[in-house]
Order: sequence, then structure tokens, then C-alpha cells
Amino acid sequence: MSALVEKMRSIDRSAEDTQRAPGLGWAVLMLLALSCLGIGIYSYSFIVRFGMQYTGLNRPVGWGVLITDFVFWVGIAHSGTLISAVLFLFRARFRTAVYRAAEAMTVIGVMTAGLFPVLHLGRPWYAFWIFPYPNSRHLQINFRSPLVWDTFAISTYFCVSTMFFLAGLMPDAAALRDNSKGWRRRFYALFAMGWRGTAEEWRHHGRAYLFFAAFATPLVISVHSVVAWDFAVSIVPGWHSTLFPPYFVSGAILSGVAMVITLLIPIRRAMKLEAIITKPHLDMLSRVVLLTSLILTYSYSSEYLLALRAGAGPERDTLLYRATGAFWPFFWTMVLGNCIGPLFLFFKRVRASLPALLAISIMVNVGMWLERFNIVVSSLEHNRVPFDWGTYHPRLVELGITIGSFGWFFSWFLLFLKMLPSVSIAELKEEAAHDLKHVQSEVTAHAA
Amino acid sequence: MRHEPGVLAVFKDPSDAGRAVRAAHAAGQRDVRAAMPAPFPEVLEAMERPPSIIGALTLIGAMVGASLGFWLTVGTALALPMSVGGKQVVSLPAFMMIIFEVTVLVGGFSNFVGMLIGAFIGRRKSRMPEDPRFLRDRIGVFLPGASGSMHALLRTAGAEEVRDVS
Repeated sequence: MSALVEKMRSIDRSAEDTQRAPGLGWAVLMLLALSCLGIGIYSYSFIVRFGMQYTGLNRPVGWGVLITDFVFWVGIAHSGTLISAVLFLFRARFRTAVYRAAEAMTVIGVMTAGLFPVLHLGRPWYAFWIFPYPNSRHLQINFRSPLVWDTFAISTYFCVSTMFFLAGLMPDAAALRDNSKGWRRRFYALFAMGWRGTAEEWRHHGRAYLFFAAFATPLVISVHSVVAWDFAVSIVPGWHSTLFPPYFVSGAILSGVAMVITLLIPIRRAMKLEAIITKPHLDMLSRVVLLTSLILTYSYSSEYLLALRAGAGPERDTLLYRATGAFWPFFWTMVLGNCIGPLFLFFKRVRASLPALLAISIMVNVGMWLERFNIVVSSLEHNRVPFDWGTYHPRLVELGITIGSFGWFFSWFLLFLKMLPSVSIAELKEEAAHDLKHVQSEVTAHAA
Repeated sequence: MRHEPGVLAVFKDPSDAGRAVRAAHAAGQRDVRAAMPAPFPEVLEAMERPPSIIGALTLIGAMVGASLGFWLTVGTALALPMSVGGKQVVSLPAFMMIIFEVTVLVGGFSNFVGMLIGAFIGRRKSRMPEDPRFLRDRIGVFLPGASGSMHALLRTAGAEEVRDVS
């Protein structure tokens, strides 16, 4: 039997093994995720029943943990598109083994992020007011507001990343469909959309995939730029900065790729995908973490250098307050997680050590959540005049909702792992053929 | 799915399948069809099919999206002329974000729908005898209307299995 056939069969077997009935570990994790989700729903019920008084929000701090969560989850949602679209356009081959899980993370991340502006309203049943629709009250939304841009950006990002995800899934679902029975066969047939693998189908699929990548690349930059403009178009010190969009985009990629690593390390072990998601793949991802961490460190430095250089003023005061005020431990933990921890990735031994890589990725995730908290809260606590200063203490309800968001995210992700192939079967086969051909031509050249 | 009679060859190696497609073309077989588990460039290039028209559909979708975004923002502003924050009623720089997002949204939808329609039409136009191996580990090359004379050509190209289908 040819080496290619053997390799393709092994890829099929690995993908099919991930679809077996879930074990005890999966069930325990799912129960944990659903419990967290339950905590979130219970916590939010207080806001629905009694209003925003159950949060720590006050005047002047009108944005707190819920907006922090929103920005955090949008950031998490960025890596999937980076890995699938941007690396696809650059023909970075290491993306093949990891992009499906990252894409799923994107779709679920946007689903999670999209909840928060609605939750933050306090009266979520009025959320439809943000959408433009003909109404008899002559009320129209303000298209000049970045909050409206956000609605458009997030919903577009959700739609495009979902279509991108489904387009990549079609051939793999077809491969699994033909080898399964019962409800699973019908389930995969739904995602395969009649796929038979003909050359005509591949011709259109390849072209459409390229256009999706071309659309998704500027989209991913626009989405987090819009999130940055939520802050930057205001005149609040610490927010009003032209640095914000690139700074937010690099932070989003950092947190997203760190989350991909955090998820992939346990997944590859639990689902026995070590032969497909290899250490060199994780090594390449950790290099992306290192690069974006350096860009972020540069952004932090330039933000502070300019504020300090400008002399006395609200910008300088607010940024000093951020580093030394009530939440100083948050600031320095953020520096540790986002700037210092990733520096260890310069060492090959650290990049090759999975426990070290996992620890650094988790540190980055914690650091990135704290970064968003620092930006949101410290600027509002320490505005231009002392008359307008205040304090904010997150309440249990807000923390419960944050825990619930993790429960929501992981429930969907665990479901994805058991219902859909977590690696791209078709692209792995294409890679295998390419690699074998390369090896054969090298052997032939060597023999000649 | 019904298909025409012809000759079906099964290949293990994409290069062999590509070679068979080229040889069939050279032997005067104009209609050559193939199915495979992954987009192997050796086979797809040998098919010598023109580029998909999805690009044009996507472009039209994106242009419609840009127009919709423009109409939505400027139209709403003009229908309800209210100056907010000292900005002009029609504030194009601010509206560009909405126009961009709607462009990408409608362009993305037309790309996806175009792909589904293209795949559906392609599947119906180039029907292949069904074989689950073509989604797993083999490449199928089907020559509709071909007779036994093509067997030798396909075997020479490296086919592991050649058979007439009716």
C-alpha cells in the first residue's frame, strides 16, 4: 500500500477517534462548564429582576467587569481568523493542524462576546433598539457612534467567521458522513451540504475559501479597531489615543493565540492527536505569542513615555494612577503576564516544554483580562478633575456573570470537540501528499 | 445519483491521476471528471478548467453591500436630519465603518452562496459513480462515454483499478 494511502487512512482514523462517545473526563468537564453557566445565569437573574444596583457600577464608573469581559472575549475571538485567514494568505503551513480548533474558538468567542453588550444594558429586552429598523417613533440610531459600529462589526464578524468555518468543514463532514450511521450520519450530512469531492466542487471551494480569507483579514483588524474606538473616540484620559487600534489588535492576537495554546495542549493529549498537532506546531504558535507580546510591550511603553513626557496633565495622572492606584496589583500582574512571562519564549527549551508553554499562555490570558479591566476602570475612576473621581468594586453578580461566560464558552467548545472534527481532514491529506512528493523528489535528486 | 456510462479508474497517487487526466485529454477525451479527498493540485491543474466565477459573484455582492451601507447610513441621516456632537448630518468618515462592514457582510454571503450553488451545479454537471473511497484515500478519474480502449491508457498512467461502468 502506498505511503500516501496509509497516511490518509491514519488521518481519517485520528479524526474518527475524536468523534467516539465521550468518556468520564469529558463528562466531568462538561458538568463543570454547565455549572459555571448556571452560576452566570443565576447571577444575571438579579440584574433582570432588580436592576443594575446589583453591580458595582456607579457614577463616574459606568463601565466595569461586563465591558471588560466583552473586550476580552472579542480578543479571544481574533486568533481563529488570524490563524485560518491571515496565515492561509501567507501560505504558513503550520496552520493546517491547528486552525479548525482556532476557528471554532473564534465562532464561540464571538457568541460569548456578543452577549455582554446586551447583558450590560440591564434591560436586555431593549437590545433591539440598537438595530436600524423602520419604526413609528421616529427614533433612529446614531451611525456616528462607535457603539453602533460595534454592533455592525461584531455581527458581521460572527456571520463571516461562521461561514468561513462551515466552508472549511464541508469536505470533512462528508468524509465522516460516509463512515457513520444513524443520527450522526444525518448530522454530518447537514454540514457536508451534499459534498462528493468532485473536482468541480474543489474548484469553486478553493476560490471561495481564498475570498473568505481575503475578506476576513481586513475584517479582523476592523473589528478590534472598532472596539478600540469605543474608548479612543471619547475624551477620557487614558482612552483618547490614536495608538489604541493597533495596540488593541496586537493585544487581541496575543490573547487569542495564547488561548489556542491553552486549549490545544490538553486537547491533543486527551484526544490522542499528538501525531497531528505536533510540538513544532505549538512552537510556531508560541513564536506568534512572543512577537505580539513584544508589540504590546512596545505599545505600553510608548503610551507611558508620551504621557510622562507631556508633563503634568490628566493623561499623565490617569496613567500613573493606573500603575499605582487602587488596582496597582492588577497593573503589575498584567505587566508580568503580558510582557515579562512571554520573554521566556525566546528560549527554545521553554517553547519545547509543554507545561511551561501552558503556564505562560494561562499567564497571558490572565494578563490580558486584567489589561482590559485596567483600561476600562482606571480611566473612569480617575477622570480629568478630582470632583469626578470615584472608585469601583466589582460585585459578586458581575464575577458570577464572568464565570458564567467561561461556562458558556467551554460548554460549546466541549460540544464542538465531540460533534465535529477538531482538525481539518482534507487539508491534512493535502499536506501529506505535498510532503511525500517533496520527500520523493529529494530522494530522486539525491540518487541522481 | 445517476451518471452516464463510461470508464472509471481508481488511483492511489495524485500525480498518477493527474497524468491520467492529461493522457485522456491528449487521446481526445474532452469530458474528464475526477473526485478526490483533498484538493490535490496535480489533478486540479490537469483538469484545465477555467477559474471559478465566484470572484465575480463576490465582487457584485460586495458592491451591493457597499451601496446598501451607504443607503442605510446616508439615507437615515437625511430622513432624520439631526446634528449630533457638532458633526455634519452626513458624516461620511464616521459612516465608512458601517459601509465597510456591510460590504464585507454582503460580499461574504454572496461568496458563500456562490460556492454552494457552484458546487451544486458542478456536482450535477460532472456526475461521478459513487465510491466512498474518493472521500477518504483514493482519487477517482471518470471518462464518460469512453470505451475499453481507454483501459490501457489509464493503467499505464498508474491506475490500481480500471472498470467499465454502465
